[in-house]
Formats: sequence, structure tokens, C-alpha cells
Amino acid sequence: MKKLVALLMAGLMLIGVIGVGAEPVGSGEIIYASTTEISGDWAHGAIWTNNATDNMIRGLINDYSTISFNQGGAMVNNASVTESVEGVVNEDGTKTFTIKVAQDLVFNDGSPITAKHFVAGPLLFSSPTLLGMGSKNQAYEYYVGGQAYRNNGQVLEIPEGTSDEDKTKLEEDFKAAVTASVAEGNAAFEGIRLIDDYTFSVTIVSKYIPYYYDLSYASFSPLSIAMWLGEGYDVKDDGEGAYIVGDMTAETLAPKIENARFLTEGRVTAGPYSLVSYDVGAKQAVLEINPNYKGNFEGQKPSIQKLIIVKAEKATQFDALETGAINLISGLTGGDEVNKALDLVAKGGFETVNYERNGYGKIQFASDFGPTQFKAVRHAVAHLLDRQEFATTFTGGYGALVHGPYGLAMWMYQESEEELNEKLNTYPYSVETATQLLVDAGFVLNAEGGEYTTGVRYKKVTEKEAGTYEHNVTLADGTVLMPAIIEWSSTTDNPVSELLVTMLANNPDLATAGMEIRQSVMDFDQLLLWMYRDKSQGEQYGVPKYGMFNLATNFTPVYDQSFSFTLKPEEIALGYNVNFIFDEQLDKLSMDMVYGVESTDPEGFRKIWVEFIDLWNELLPEIPLYSNVYYSIFADKLKGYTENPIWGFAPAIVYATVEE
Amino acid sequence: MLRYILKRTAYIIVLFLIISFLMYSLYNLIPSDPARSEVEPMRNMLKPAEYEALYKQTRLELGLDDPLPWRYARWMGFVPDRFGDFNGIVQGNFGYSNFFKKPVIDIIPEPMKFTVLINIFITIFALGITIPLGIKIAVKKDTTLDRSVQVFSVLGYSIPIHIIGLVFIFLFAVILRWFPVMGMKTPGSNFTGWAAVKDFIYHITLPVIVLVFASLGSMTRYVRSAMLDALSMDYVRTARAKGVREKVVIYSHAWRNALLPVITLIIGWFLGIFGGSTITESTFSLNGMGRLNIQSLTNKDYELALAIQLFYISIALVGRLLTDLSYGFVDPRVRITK
Repeated sequence: MKKLVALLMAGLMLIGVIGVGAEPVGSGEIIYASTTEISGDWAHGAIWTNNATDNMIRGLINDYSTISFNQGGAMVNNASVTESVEGVVNEDGTKTFTIKVAQDLVFNDGSPITAKHFVAGPLLFSSPTLLGMGSKNQAYEYYVGGQAYRNNGQVLEIPEGTSDEDKTKLEEDFKAAVTASVAEGNAAFEGIRLIDDYTFSVTIVSKYIPYYYDLSYASFSPLSIAMWLGEGYDVKDDGEGAYIVGDMTAETLAPKIENARFLTEGRVTAGPYSLVSYDVGAKQAVLEINPNYKGNFEGQKPSIQKLIIVKAEKATQFDALETGAINLISGLTGGDEVNKALDLVAKGGFETVNYERNGYGKIQFASDFGPTQFKAVRHAVAHLLDRQEFATTFTGGYGALVHGPYGLAMWMYQESEEELNEKLNTYPYSVETATQLLVDAGFVLNAEGGEYTTGVRYKKVTEKEAGTYEHNVTLADGTVLMPAIIEWSSTTDNPVSELLVTMLANNPDLATAGMEIRQSVMDFDQLLLWMYRDKSQGEQYGVPKYGMFNLATNFTPVYDQSFSFTLKPEEIALGYNVNFIFDEQLDKLSMDMVYGVESTDPEGFRKIWVEFIDLWNELLPEIPLYSNVYYSIFADKLKGYTENPIWGFAPAIVYATVEE
Repeated sequence: MLRYILKRTAYIIVLFLIISFLMYSLYNLIPSDPARSEVEPMRNMLKPAEYEALYKQTRLELGLDDPLPWRYARWMGFVPDRFGDFNGIVQGNFGYSNFFKKPVIDIIPEPMKFTVLINIFITIFALGITIPLGIKIAVKKDTTLDRSVQVFSVLGYSIPIHIIGLVFIFLFAVILRWFPVMGMKTPGSNFTGWAAVKDFIYHITLPVIVLVFASLGSMTRYVRSAMLDALSMDYVRTARAKGVREKVVIYSHAWRNALLPVITLIIGWFLGIFGGSTITESTFSLNGMGRLNIQSLTNKDYELALAIQLFYISIALVGRLLTDLSYGFVDPRVRITK
């Protein structure tokens, strides 16, 4: 027995040692490590899943979008894909984009790409069958005839005065009618037209025009009809709009779509790389150069032959990098991680790039109830937190501070930096200023209604201001006093919350100013329920309770804050305007910035943007806490690699080379 | 015996239904709106009308508008789903992963295959080492060997496996470069046949060593303790007095009697073949059941988490029956007759 055990152990060890001789990573390869696991859903965009690594891989294998984002985040015509993109405003207020695509485009399997491949995506993913199968594509909303298309031409009519119960029944019957109609034929999409083999047009509904980012409406990527739908399917236009030819019932489509979403070998795509293999067990994806790729919007083609995407763990990723098991880690942040990366660089063999985050960590106020409904209280909180110190401590020195909803790398900020420096209040740390703000706002009483001397300050409030705030005190004469007590909702295991406890909630100066902040720790989902006041999960969430939350936000290149400060109750009920700040001017600026400016007028956009940032900074619905600096570390065999907040691994690697 | 097995099987089914209902209810009592969580990351990209449509559609897909008992019954396959089909656990549909957007049944096989494979290695090595070692140090009680093994077993028992993993990685992967730091195969490799087996073994050797090392302490001490009890019995003294050979005394008389408490642990180990090691799998980036389980919880992928946990509950319930039955085989005194 002893001998057997010893033999087995020795055998295993020997095999392990033999394995040391396994071939090293060769030249022309980069092993990219992600701490987010690949799910293996390669469908275009975030139609089903929104996993960051999947998205990155999708970006590497699909790049023939008619509109691209350049390194600065600006939308540009993809010159490799389009011959022309022309927009015309129609008499009825709609806008039509006519897009002529290049005639030499082919998929990675060599099959030609024509106009119908570009419109196949929206036709398929907005079809009632696919929407019923979990497709998250909602873009049909923008185009003329989109609503009719998603219902396969069926129209729901609900007579006025119909009860909720009957309305539900009618809606259910309508869904059944839509499903039944699909078996009889497919409706055409009025606003999407096939003009000839290489030309198509899309017409945007008038309510979304003008729009500063209207080029995004003309952004379409080719989809292989053969791979997604197979034989017997096509896209046609008989004069009433484009439509899919073929059986679109769920029974027929479900297995095809399921297969196409997860298909790896033989996947037909059009990007700088092709997906060669995906090992479900080891969670590794291998991509190789697509020889049929024409180039990105600048005509750039990749030169690194193979990309391998693997899953790494935070605890061991630097060991893996050091030993060559991986070559690149992206998006490192915080003192610990960045210092480890810089230590490796100091040892030699590695390089880093860094960039400022396009977003920030923040305190978010509910600005319609309790003490945080008063601007002075929000300002006072800002003055009672040393934000510079907070940002430095939290990011380990690798972060910056912003004073409004912007990122330091945004072109609008960079062109307006001086102007903003003059205009924006930086809310410097000052207990005196905070106290004076509270006094000026009427927080001058104690809990009995007498003159404030110590403890928490109270303010005499109107019935409307008082609302249902739980800490209000009603005196014998009916006077309602509101204390400067803020209920704060924060999430579990959150280092930002922990630092906020130290630097804000437990800061003695907070008490000196006459304020109190009470923390409640909860799961993030529960925080969202309180933040959105979502009664669907319990009546209690519908009653405002927390005046302060701590979260983070990121911006995409499309800086669109429209609806974020809406005054309309139905949009607020959907979760828009989570700051619950009801300022007409702020709402107007946020809408005008994108819906009041033509896409050809960046200066007009910038001017409104500055006004918006300035007003936001004054109203202070949120306090920005920190904006991280992100680092990416990679083996120094990788040359010419750069990143920025909107230029991630997928577009950047196309410009890079490997030198062994 | 057959009657006993049938009776216990009926209990298992009833118990499974009760536990499944309790677990399903507990997961659904968590104050969250899965539909909201799912569509929330897309809010900035959508206009209110789009967001509303997507939110409603997601609630419908997730079946969140029905009462809890109805959702449980549908999940179990006792009532029809929104398409009018009976399609639940009973029919072999273990749910839908909200994170992977795939049926749970399509997600579990790969990590399960890996976990079973690695656990077979670990169980063989761990039992192969601990049983003889436990017997040896029980026989050589209070010798230097016994004390040394005791010290090492306490160390192995006390140090968190995460720390053992990191220390071993640093030593064997970073310093000595004998093994890879992480992963289940050489990145980008396309090995087949023996080369693939070799590559796989190369990658799992270090995690296996870590897991075996971490499991030595408890089992060795358990075997030692059971053997010491058996060796102190009168029948051992009698056997020795009769002049029976020491090997026969130890393995035939003492070990067979010490086996009864140990068997519970051994069966537990074999059943544990299906259960992954959350920490080690995460440390070494291995796609096993332990990591999948914890990942399903952190992703709030509750149908996947429920399926995994109910699978383990089933294993535990069946395992308990097997353990009880095995006592009868090992020790005729506790043989079950009814």
C-alpha cells in the first residue's frame, strides 16, 4: 500500500514536471486576462447578455458598423464600410439616413456583404419572435413603423374607460394574436428600406429629431443571414419596407437562434479577428486574424496573429503575469493593484498605460424629501467631506477629483476646462461654511423648538416640506420641525462606504455643524429598490426613507443626460431622475443638449453642456467623490498599445504589434 | 431491507420537496427585483419608453408577476409555464441561468466533469496517505513520528486553504516554475490525446497537492483516534496474549473495528466528489462546481444556485441512506433487518 501511494504521488509529480517543458507562448500571440468570466454568448451587441468580456470579444469579431467611435469618442463614418451616409430631414419632421455600403466587403468566410446583411440585424432582433425569446433590442422604437413591426403589423386597440382587468385581458389576447400572425407571414419594417444591393435607408421618427448623436441611428452592422437563419431565409423589400422572408415562428427559430448565439467554430462575422475556438471547460477563447478584414474606420488592420482570452483571478493575476501565463491585464485601479503593477514594471519586462476613468464614485441625494431636499444641506455635506483627501486615500493616489457629471478625458471638458475652473464650486472642506449654510437655511432650532445650542439642528418646515419624513417632530402648536439627520443607504463590503463612515458620518465636525448621518448597510439590489422607490417588491420601498446613497457612475461616448432630470411623473415612476431633483432649467438643459442641437453643431452642444454642468454643480444632486486612474499592464513584447476610457482593448489591439 | 430502503426513499422525496420549497421561498424572499437588476445596466442607453418596454418584457420572461406558490409549482413542473407546457425540475428542466442566458442543465456538465475528475485524484491520494499514516501513528503512539505528524496535521488543519494555495503558488509556480499559476490548459493550445491529458495533469497537479495537503490533517487524526480506541480494547489485548502476529492484530482485529466511525467520513468523501472547492477553484481559476456555486450566488443567478444546492441536498440525502446501509456491511451488529 505504501509503495503504491508513493508511486502514484511520484508519477503525478513527474508528469507535472514533464509538463514544465510545455511550449512557451509563441510570438504573435497575446494572452489577455479578464476577471470577468466569458459566458460564450457571441450574439451582436448586448442582445441577450451584457457581460464585459463577451462584449469585448464581440467587438473584436464584429467591426463593420457603418458608424464608429474614434479614439476621442466622436462618432465618425466608417470609411472602410460605407461609401456615403447622407441624412435628410423630411417635411413631416422625420429624418432619413441613406447609407451606401462598399461593394468589396466580405464576411470572414469570404461570402459577400450587401445592404440586406446590414438591415437583417434590426429586422431579426426586433421581430416579435426574438423579443419573446429574450432579445433586448429596443431600437425599433427610433424608426418609423417600429412599433408596428415589433407587433408584426397587429394593432392593439383599448377603448377608453376599459378597466385594468379587461386591459390586461386585451393585452394578453393581443400577444396571442401577434404570435399567431407570425405563422401567417412577416410584416415589413416601414422605416427600414432596401434601396439596391448596396444601399439602404432608415427613417427616424420625428420625436427623436433633432438629436446631437443622430448618427447613432445610422449605425448598423452586418449579420450573416446564412449563419443565423440558414437556408430558405432572405431579406427583401417590396416597396413597403424591408422584411424577412422565411418561417419566423418560435418553434422554427428557437433552435437556430440558440445555435447561432453560441456557435464558435465556423462563426461568420466581420471584424479584425475571427473566433477560432472556445473551451467551455477552461473558459478560454482563441481568436485569430480575419484575413478578409478590410480595416477599421481608419483602414487599420491587426498584426497580432492570435489573441487568447482567459479568466484570471485577482489574487493571482500578477503571479500569472510574471510567469508569462498571461500577457495583459486591463483596468487595474486602487493603490494596491497599481503599486503591484508598477513594481513589476520596475523589475523589468513589463509596461503600463494609464487613463482617467470616464465616470466617478459619488454620493447621490434624494432631493425631494427630508433635509436633503434643501440645497443648503447638500452643500453642507459637501463642505463637511474633505473630497481631495477622500479621493487620494481611496484611490491610493491614483485618482482625481471632478466637480460635476463629467470625466476628465471628455472632449467637452478639455475644451472648457478654464471656463469650468472659474465657474464650478469645489466645495472646499470647511465646518464654518457648512454651519453657516445650515443657519441660513433655517436650521436654527433644537428639538423643542427653542434656539439651537448643541446636538442636531432642527428647522421649522411647511407641511409640504415635512412630507412623511420619519424624524420630524411635531410640537404642541402643530409646528413641524425637521432635524438635520440624513438616512444613508450603503452596500455591504464596500470600501467607499467604509471610508465615508470614517471621513463623513463619524467626522466630529459633522456633529459640530449640527448634523447627523445614519448608515444602513444592505444588499445592492435592496439599495436599488429604495433608490427607485420600487413598490413592486414591497409597499415600504414606495415611502422615501433614505436621503443619501453611495454608488458609482460611468459615461459612454454618447453623453446623453436626457430624461435623467425629467419632471414627468410617468418617467420618474420608471426610474428616471433618481436624484428626484425637480428643476425645470436642469431638465431643459439636459434635453436641449442633445435634442436641441444638430449633430453638426459641437460648439452648440458644448455651450449647453457647460451651462448644464454649472447648474448641476450649483444644485448638487450628487457629490462626486473620486475618479480613478486606470492602469493596464502588459508584457513589453507588446508594442504600440494605448488605451483610454473609450478606447479599450478591442479597438486598441488592432494598432499594436508583438516583438519577441 | 427492501422495505427499509423504500421507506427511506419515500422520506427522501418528502424531505426534498419540503427543502426545495423552503429554499425556493428563501431565495424569492430576498428583497430584490431581478428584472430591475437585469435591465438596470442598460438604462443609460435607453430612452424611457424603451426602458419601460424592456422592463415589462423582462418581468414577463422571468415570471415575476405570479404569486410565490405558483412560481414554485411552475419551477418544479407541477403547473404549466407561460407557454402552457409542464417544464420544470420533474421534467428535467433545472431552470434558466439569468447570468449565462442558458438552461442550467447546459451549464453544469463542464464544471461537474472537472470537479469529479479532480476529486477522484484528491480522494485517492488523501485516503491513500491518511489511512496508513493514521494507523501507523496510532500504533507508534507518543513516538517522535507520532508527534511530528500531529504537529504537521494541526498545521494543515489550521491554515486556511486560501493561504496554503497562495504559498504553494508562490513556491512552486512563481519561484520554482514547476507548475502554472492558474488555468486548466495551456492558453491557446489545441492538444489532443495524450498531449491533452498531460497538459491537463500539468495544470491540476498543484491544486491537487494543495487540496490533498489541506485534507491530510483531519482524516489522519480521525483514523488515529479511532485506531487508538480499537487498540485499547480487550480483544486486542487477548489477541496479542494469544500470540497473534502484530500485523494481524492491527489490520484484522483493530482496523476492522476502527472502521465503523471512519466509514462515515470515507463515504462523505466519496459523495464529496461532486462538490467543488470554492476557494481553491477560485484561486487557481478552475472551472469547477465550487466556483460555479459561489459565482451563481454573487451574480444573483438564483435558479442556477438553487439547482446546484438542490443537487447537493439530493446527494446528501442519498448519502445518508448509503452510510446507514454501509454500517450493516461493515459491522453485522448494526445490520438493518426491517
